[in-house]
Amino acid sequence: MPRPRNRNSAPAASSRRWRRLAALLLLLLAAMTAYLAYLNHLIDARFEGDTWALPSRVYARALELYPGLALKREQLEYELELSTYLEVDHEPRAGQYRRLGDSLEVHAREFDFGGELQQARLLQVFFDDGRVAGLVDGPAGVELPLFRLPPVLIGSYYPDNGEDRLLLDEEQVPERLIDTLIAVEDRAFYRHHGLSPRAIGRALLANFEAGKTVQGGSTLTQQLAKNLFLTPEKTLLRKINEAFMALLLELRFSKQAIVTAYINEVFLLQQNRIAIHGFARASRMLFRRSVDHLEPQHLALLVGMVNGPSRYNPFTNPAAAIARRNLVLKIMLDQGLIDASEYALAAAAPLGVVERLPGVNPFPAYLDLVKRQLRASYAGTDLSQRGLRVITAFDPQVQRNLEAGLEQGLARFDKPGLQAAVVVADYLSGDIQGLVSDRDTDYPGFNRALMAQRPIGSLVKPMLLYSLLQGDLTLASLVADQPVRVRQSNGQIWEPANYDRRLHGRMTLYEAFVNSYNLPFVNLGVDGGLEPLAQNLAKIQLLKHQVVYPSMLLGTTAMSAFEVAQMFQVIANNGYFTPLTTIRRVSDHRHRDLGRVALESIKLFDQARMIQVQRALIGVAETGTARYLAERFGGRSLAGKTGTTNDLRDSWFAGFTRRQLAVVWLGRDDNQPVGLSGSAGALRVWADIMTRQGLESFKLSRDASLEWRYIDPLGGGLLPADCANGVLLPFPKARVPRKRSPCP
Amino acid sequence: MSLIRCLIIAVTALWLTSCAVEPPHNRYQLPAGESQPGESAVAELQARARQALTSGDYRLAIEYLQRAIRIEPRDPYSWHHLGEAYRASGDYRRCVEMIDRSFSYSDEGSELDAPNRRLRQICQSG
Repeated sequence: MPRPRNRNSAPAASSRRWRRLAALLLLLLAAMTAYLAYLNHLIDARFEGDTWALPSRVYARALELYPGLALKREQLEYELELSTYLEVDHEPRAGQYRRLGDSLEVHAREFDFGGELQQARLLQVFFDDGRVAGLVDGPAGVELPLFRLPPVLIGSYYPDNGEDRLLLDEEQVPERLIDTLIAVEDRAFYRHHGLSPRAIGRALLANFEAGKTVQGGSTLTQQLAKNLFLTPEKTLLRKINEAFMALLLELRFSKQAIVTAYINEVFLLQQNRIAIHGFARASRMLFRRSVDHLEPQHLALLVGMVNGPSRYNPFTNPAAAIARRNLVLKIMLDQGLIDASEYALAAAAPLGVVERLPGVNPFPAYLDLVKRQLRASYAGTDLSQRGLRVITAFDPQVQRNLEAGLEQGLARFDKPGLQAAVVVADYLSGDIQGLVSDRDTDYPGFNRALMAQRPIGSLVKPMLLYSLLQGDLTLASLVADQPVRVRQSNGQIWEPANYDRRLHGRMTLYEAFVNSYNLPFVNLGVDGGLEPLAQNLAKIQLLKHQVVYPSMLLGTTAMSAFEVAQMFQVIANNGYFTPLTTIRRVSDHRHRDLGRVALESIKLFDQARMIQVQRALIGVAETGTARYLAERFGGRSLAGKTGTTNDLRDSWFAGFTRRQLAVVWLGRDDNQPVGLSGSAGALRVWADIMTRQGLESFKLSRDASLEWRYIDPLGGGLLPADCANGVLLPFPKARVPRKRSPCP
Repeated sequence: MSLIRCLIIAVTALWLTSCAVEPPHNRYQLPAGESQPGESAVAELQARARQALTSGDYRLAIEYLQRAIRIEPRDPYSWHHLGEAYRASGDYRRCVEMIDRSFSYSDEGSELDAPNRRLRQICQSG
């Protein structure tokens, strides 16, 4: 049965319309609420996540200052500049230093060394003849036996995305920076609630009159919302989102928090493919100063650049940058932020930016290794914390010498495409002090020092020599440099040759080693030396293949420069294995220890035998394939080994001094020949690097189980001490040679 | 006459033997008891470490000794004390490792010989 029609149909229709309208309104309200909730969620995720969180900070080693330390005044100044200490001509405050004659007066900042809080302290450092001559505590005038300088910050990053940034918290932002920024970008900042209708109206009028966009009406809060969450395109929807987000930000956060986030987030400079955000980072890169040490002209330039990072780029548009800076200075003067004399000084000053912009992270290879070793050694939950403090073994002085030496060394060869990787370590402590993985040392690309696996050529011979000395041989044993044919497991015949393609007759094992002749080592290797070699490589986890094959004797095994450094660490350190590491300590943001890396020292090889290998490595640098070192640094005792691979594709040198070990690899990424042997290439670069490090002579440890004798390097017999061709070699007491050779 | 001849032969033999004995000065080796530029800093850190060890703060003692070793890594006393600190903290494996290093930097018959042997034995059986 049909329903009877409502007699009051008109009011009912009206009521239905209202109900629909109400429902529509409710729907709209719900949509709006959901939309705002979504925006709010975005704010939560980003603003509360990254913006206020502390990044993980990576520090260099703390420089131990003590009387007798080899350190020039200029080197300490370099270290202070890296830590953004400011040179002054009055009594320094924390973070400042001044020159006083030959001494430096330094006001070291406070630093928490993980349980040991070192207060800020004024001290005077005296220098004499390239060494620290004395340390005097400033106010007390008391001599100090030693002082630990707070370490240089070498990088910071977020554990989750690895991004490198330098952030300021609210207390660290200088007031003058905030005042200038607000005076230039948003004078009504403290009065509005995220939007400024007056500014919007003014901008609309100006844009209408001009017929195009000439003026923006965005507040700082809107700009922050845009920078943090939105794309730069100018659409109505984007503007609406920006406005709502600005309102939400103002509703939830203080003005101080908003302006701090802005200062950390704002885009200021483009360098190659890297965008530089934040005043702290830009200040360090442009002026090598921290923001609290900026002069008015620096501050004005940075604030001026906010408006047009590329238009006012001080490197590409210096004239426009100066004009913009001076405009900001005028505003600062008008607003009473600087006085007339400051204005006159600042406006007349040059831009004062660095000559060449450094990389965002100047030591990318090292930082990359730190992150890898962190992941390998610490629990993921520890590493995902924010605000970690990582104290490393990085030595800014060593890295500086390494980079300068590498540049000088590579300039010797006119070889486009030639690449380099260098590792410098303290082999006694296992500290990796410096690392380079690209000829452009601040280029953050492929980490060749760790990842490029290359055949090591004759760099395997020291370990092979050790393996041979485990048998009946001594350094004076006679060996034959004669052709050898080896049938390999695949049935093919392997017929190696010497590098010079010649045969040299009979000689001692020592002589064969220093000249890096291949055939005596292959002959001895296939005659029982191969298995011990494989076992010894396995001890240091460098046996790369399950199957042991004869060509390993000539270093066809591929290793990275880092792995080669580990192999030579154990050789230089008398057979004690100390894992090479970048990390000394990790603590959380409350300075609680998450772990200290203890000094490991595992005795893996026999000391006396390793001393014989070391003596042979000194011979390489005296009269062998690295005699260039004796020619260049006569009188110094250095140890090392050259390595060259087929068709001159890889050029290696690994060598050590009293405390340092450096491994240099040169080659091409496409594995094409570089035309350089180890002697002609990597050895020269090694010398250029290590001469800057001081090149202290390497001396062998005294070992009571060894006896030393002068030996004829060809005949292997004993010689009188005054015989010109005798070489002084160590022997196990039971194996001292008995026969004599004639002294010619 | 035959006596003179015998004497000449004996002197020549003695001279030839002397040519082959170990030379008194060996430029390749570390000289014994050489003073190091960081000696006073190392002594200070060793003293602080002993103090920390006495008060039972092994971690701090280890920290001081590792600093001393980074200043002068061939000082056998720092390694010996580090071995003591590890023994005190119950880490016998590291104690043995550190004593081995101390041995490698001290001469046979040095005053550290006996303490090193004693400590190594304790840690090895620990």
